[in-house]
Amino acid sequence: MILNVIGWFLIYFGAVFLFLGALGIVRFPDVYNRLQAGTKCTTLGAFSAIIGVGILHPAWLAKTFIIALFILLTNPISSHALGRASYRSGVKLWEKSVVDKCKEFAECVEERNE
Amino acid sequence: MIKKAFALLLVIIIGIFLSATFAKIPFGVPKTVVGKYYLDHGVNDLGGVNIVTSIVVLYRGFDTLGEVTVLFLAATGLGMVLAGLREKDEKKRKKTAPSLIMRTETKLLFPMIILFGAYIFIHGHLTPGGGFPGGVVIASAFLLMFLSHEKWEAKEKYTKITEALAGMTYVVIGLIGLYVAGSFLENFLPKGVPGNLFSAGIIPLIYTAIGFKVGSELTGLLQNLRETTE
Amino acid sequence: MIHGQIIFYGASVALFVIGLYAVLIKRNLIKIMLGLSLIEGAVNLFLINIGYIWGKTAPILSNKELLAHPSAKAVDPVPQALVLTAIVIGVAVLALALSVIMRIYETHGTLNVDKIKELRW
Repeated sequence: MILNVIGWFLIYFGAVFLFLGALGIVRFPDVYNRLQAGTKCTTLGAFSAIIGVGILHPAWLAKTFIIALFILLTNPISSHALGRASYRSGVKLWEKSVVDKCKEFAECVEERNE
Repeated sequence: MIKKAFALLLVIIIGIFLSATFAKIPFGVPKTVVGKYYLDHGVNDLGGVNIVTSIVVLYRGFDTLGEVTVLFLAATGLGMVLAGLREKDEKKRKKTAPSLIMRTETKLLFPMIILFGAYIFIHGHLTPGGGFPGGVVIASAFLLMFLSHEKWEAKEKYTKITEALAGMTYVVIGLIGLYVAGSFLENFLPKGVPGNLFSAGIIPLIYTAIGFKVGSELTGLLQNLRETTE
Repeated sequence: MIHGQIIFYGASVALFVIGLYAVLIKRNLIKIMLGLSLIEGAVNLFLINIGYIWGKTAPILSNKELLAHPSAKAVDPVPQALVLTAIVIGVAVLALALSVIMRIYETHGTLNVDKIKELRW
């Protein structure tokens, strides 16, 4: 009974986060903000939904943990690669962005090299 | 403009005719007799739980051998078509090296993805999947390494050897079937208990061979494409 | 059950028509190839739809009930085996066609069908 409640709670928790991620992709202004919404929300959302399914069906728990581990390993990496590639190919930040760490880092590297 | 209108008209006419034809085909009722036979006798005949796999590998095994050959021909043909392309490419695009995070992570993920592909093709007779999806998963692991490591490459020598050995294994298993059981690609191993890993006779063996073959073929194909685009 | 016919066959007809439209109207070779892939997907979907039987499950007899009465509980496996073959052949053809398109781009410098003399109709 208590496992049932926890499992369904995790699934709905994940569904809410997936919805927030989709909302962020529609509403956020530029590529980097959208990537953030797309990655953070979908990682947590998919993670908790899958673990919830595993708790509802204890026979699948080990498999769901492995799937969740894979999502945890791959999802941030893909978004990192996307973000880096779009920065390198010159996609502009939103005009109201306040900080650009990547640019600062590149300038630091250039100064050190000179 | 006239061409466009003509094409649109053709598309609409074909759509209407297709809909009219499909409306006469009943949906959701049994249609083939041979499918019923496969379902009822498949487990007793061959010992494989996954009936689709049993059909693909044993009932229609010769067909699958031809299919693997077509894939091989396509990969070879791609290599041949692209062969002269890479010397002429003079203007190089500006490239940046993949980041440290990518390199570390893909090193961690590479063996896991290979293991997952192997799991898929070894369990082909028990779960959805089989040699072709398993091979594609393995090739995707190699693609990940191509993306994240500039210098890393799958040597053509090794992919070709793996591919040739796997294809040869398939044919040799077929020939052993011809010698032992009387016809090409006939099952000659014990059927075992349906649902166990070691069951279904030669299905896991053949699917392992197909998995290796498809994986190495697609890896060689990706390597060809990569050498061309650099 | 008429709604199954409308939804599932309708989806494959729609995919086929969209793919045919792309093949006929688009002038970019890669887009034409995408249209051909869509047509292939439509045919595969249609074959799978033919094999479906109301209220039955996948032909993987993984539990006792299914093993006892396979043909009463599972859908037709023959179209699924056909589609498995068709998908692999489709991938092979797509790879080969894309490499030929790369070659065409190299020799003619364009992907537009109208500008390539040999491909004009």
